[in-house]
Amino acid sequence: MSAINELAVKQTDSEHKNKVRRDRPWQVVVWNDPVTLMSYVVFVFRRLFAYDLATATRLMLQVHNEGKAVVATEPRERAEVAVAQLHAHGLQATLARD
Amino acid sequence: MSLAQINRQGELVYVRVSRGERRALLQILDRLEPLVDHSQWARPRAYQEEEDEAEFQRLVGTDLADSRAADLAQVREALESDERILLSPDGAIAWLRALNVLRLALAERLGITADGWEEQHTLQEHRRPPLATLHLLSWIQEGLVEALSVS
Repeated sequence: MSAINELAVKQTDSEHKNKVRRDRPWQVVVWNDPVTLMSYVVFVFRRLFAYDLATATRLMLQVHNEGKAVVATEPRERAEVAVAQLHAHGLQATLARD
Repeated sequence: MSLAQINRQGELVYVRVSRGERRALLQILDRLEPLVDHSQWARPRAYQEEEDEAEFQRLVGTDLADSRAADLAQVREALESDERILLSPDGAIAWLRALNVLRLALAERLGITADGWEEQHTLQEHRRPPLATLHLLSWIQEGLVEALSVS
């Protein structure tokens, strides 16, 4: 294999790995704060993720009791949108690799 | 002191504040709005990695500040116009976000950093400003959540 071909294969390989890394699901993590109302957090989870009341309440309590909860696992771009929406509602949220 | 009345009227949400509450809420806006964009939580991080975070902020950072300002402006405009306010569902959600911002800003000013802060104050302290202000904002926010949750 020529050096150029070898490089092309390596680059394709690297691009493929990058794409796989981008496509891997990311976790949307919501963090506790001592001020935001529990009812508001439940409302936001239901509105943004279409959760039923029981699921949204369970996740809110997990945030409250354990300090954080994974509220969604999505491809990176969708996870970023979810985090931006949570930020827009005043919640502390981050992304973490699944 | 009477408390704001909030209920659903068809698709709309009706908010009725007293003259005193209206004045108090406008004062809260005057005092806290300038602090909002400088608050610790005002530019939340999405990533630990600096490069990813910089890109995320580049994409959404300005939008976040702009939408926060628009929400606060909606609340101010409504309060300046009347004590009886009819909100669309989207308008009510803008109010919810704005009230949350104001509660966070006030809490930061009060040095509230951990759960359990409610128990550290006497009943008298809860009834006087600034804690009473925080409770007024909570009351309205709870009322809006309840009204919007009616199916």
